Amino acid sequence: MAENGAIRSVCIVGGGSAGWLTAGLIAARHGRDLKVTLVESVRRGTIGVGEGTWPTMRNTLRKIGLSETDFMRATHASFKQGAKFARWRTGAADDFYYHPLVLPEGFPDLDLAPYWNADPNQSFSDAVCFQEALCEASLAPKLMTSPDYVGVANYAYHLDAVRLGELLAEHCTGKLGVHHIDDDIIDVRQSETGDVSAVIGERHGAIEADLFVDCTGFASRLLGEALGVPFIDRSDVLFVDRALAVQLPVEEDSPIASHTISTAQRHGWIWDIGLPTRRGIGYVWSSRHARNERIEEELAAYVGPDFARLSPREITIRSGHRAQFWKNNVVAVGLAAGFLEPLEASALVLIELSADYIATAMPANRAAMDFVARRFNTMTRYRWDRIIEFLKLHYVLSERKDSAFWRDNRDPATIPQDLQDQLELWRDSPPGEHDFSSAHEMFPAASYQYVLYGMGFRTRARPGRLANADAAQDAFDRTAALKRKLTATMPTNRELLGRLAQYRFPPL
Amino acid sequence: MTIVPLNRTDHADLRIDPARAAESAAAVHLVPLVAGEIRQVAGQFPVFLAKDAETGQFYPAALMGLEPQENLFWNGAALEADVLPLNLLRLPFFVVGEGAEAAIGIDEASPALAPDGPCTIVDTEGGETEYFRSVQTILGRLLQGRDETRRLVDLMLETKVVREIKLDLAFHDGSTSLLTGLYGVDEVALGRARERITAFEDLMILAAMALSLDKVAALVRRKNARIEAQSAWFTPGS
Repeated sequence: MAENGAIRSVCIVGGGSAGWLTAGLIAARHGRDLKVTLVESVRRGTIGVGEGTWPTMRNTLRKIGLSETDFMRATHASFKQGAKFARWRTGAADDFYYHPLVLPEGFPDLDLAPYWNADPNQSFSDAVCFQEALCEASLAPKLMTSPDYVGVANYAYHLDAVRLGELLAEHCTGKLGVHHIDDDIIDVRQSETGDVSAVIGERHGAIEADLFVDCTGFASRLLGEALGVPFIDRSDVLFVDRALAVQLPVEEDSPIASHTISTAQRHGWIWDIGLPTRRGIGYVWSSRHARNERIEEELAAYVGPDFARLSPREITIRSGHRAQFWKNNVVAVGLAAGFLEPLEASALVLIELSADYIATAMPANRAAMDFVARRFNTMTRYRWDRIIEFLKLHYVLSERKDSAFWRDNRDPATIPQDLQDQLELWRDSPPGEHDFSSAHEMFPAASYQYVLYGMGFRTRARPGRLANADAAQDAFDRTAALKRKLTATMPTNRELLGRLAQYRFPPL
Repeated sequence: MTIVPLNRTDHADLRIDPARAAESAAAVHLVPLVAGEIRQVAGQFPVFLAKDAETGQFYPAALMGLEPQENLFWNGAALEADVLPLNLLRLPFFVVGEGAEAAIGIDEASPALAPDGPCTIVDTEGGETEYFRSVQTILGRLLQGRDETRRLVDLMLETKVVREIKLDLAFHDGSTSLLTGLYGVDEVALGRARERITAFEDLMILAAMALSLDKVAALVRRKNARIEAQSAWFTPGS
């Protein structure tokens, strides 16, 4: 510890997306004032889950100082404009809805939900937003002339998480001055106050720092093991605890889906993430509700004949999070903080938000750290609770009756009280900004509308809410006009990525 | 447009009226430039950067109209300008192909191909005419200027002197127009970046581009004059 308890050095323990995003955000902001070290065991490798991002990733990468062209080329990324939820409501072959990244037309100044509820003859997402039409045609959200990180439609990415770690490592060490140590941590040294004074590497001995960021994955070596912060299991709400994942190579000229496809199965659901080179496909399920053989059968049926040539990898998931995220001088980011099923791609965004907060609110000295930690804990716990509720929302509205997994998910004992109360309110008023008043909300009210109405929920019509009928009709017409215009002019993902291999997005 | 590679057998008897070639510029509002001509052209037209729709890459261009397909310098018979970009002077000829494959092409649908045209490609002795040699010089400057132009554009982006410029204009008859997709050299940014632009010649080109933005006013004057002439035409009894 430096004199006066000044914070002069940060050590990030563990690489992967969590470690390197944190290193990048801290170094980009404090490169001149702080010594930033990342120690990881290169042999240990990374889990490499989390291949779907939020639109926030664009700003994160910009802050770190990467160009979009370099990022997309290096991580084999493609564009993500939302998620398509298939077979979640009834399980029928034609049952689907979208959660696009573009807000409903006019939202929040104009709320189309009451008008749509009064006459729901078209799916909600398709009626109020043009983006579903782009997704259905595998069209890109931007043009070759669109500047770095700027789109015609809001977008995020699908990417190869292992390559993201590699790209960030290269950028952080080469451009941002992050010290990279390859070592295996064999011990953690703590002072009398409980603060971690050093991690002990097998080959480098003691690696000291004033602040440690625990990015050691599920193991949570510092926050969980050394500081004894307990894990709060949330599998009482979210049952999924296993994933079976494969990577399916694709033809060079095949269409690349512009959205994550999430298809409900008997005992869980399958994610399908399209990259230019492969599709990442995985079945997440609850081991309390189904046996492995049944899962492999269903996954094989989804993938098709190619499944026989692939080697599925099973991943154990612990739904839940630590009771605290920042204790003493240790803060956990990524899997070390917690994990939830990847239904709304919350893993990477939580890493970004946590790392960004740590970088922005970086305490100048040890005395200020406890206060920053308290704020961080309150905020981060709020975020986990909101994500858990939003994920649960997808399950509680399902009408599927084909297995105990779906029936149990609707058991009120498994539904957080806040969510039950909200659902009652939404019977008479659509989700609005008044329902989400924190500065740390994860999902906008519009996201709740997309899922609620996509799942067949209806809000009772009240004449007073239909007073702006002309403005609403204009908004529906604008959506239809945008669909026609954009489906005629936007390139396909494949075309745009092909051009991006040769040319760069302009910087402005 | 019907561009075919130029050859002696098919095109030896061709007669060309260069003045009429400019007619195809009547519906062009942006004309691409090469680095070597920017200083001169910027004395007459505002010079911007625009983006190629296919590649997203910036290229310098002279602005001649305030909306797509409008050329405010075309008076119905000629382009009223003291200086013209090489890409207009070369018409009806084109460079086709890239690098070592580059060759001269001609637009067989150009209005400049006229039986009464004063110019030919081949003279009576079978040699190249002076006219055609001047065309070759122009095409040579365009071809050789490609790399230099790319370098100059990269320099502008690296030194961050480029700003998006939205031309939000109002005319005398109350009509308005909004022209987007244009980028210009910003004088203040150029001032900040001047230490990093080491070649004096580059600095002068960028300064010329920054100063040329004032010439948008001349385009607005021409547009107002055109609107006035048109309204006079439509006024009953005048």
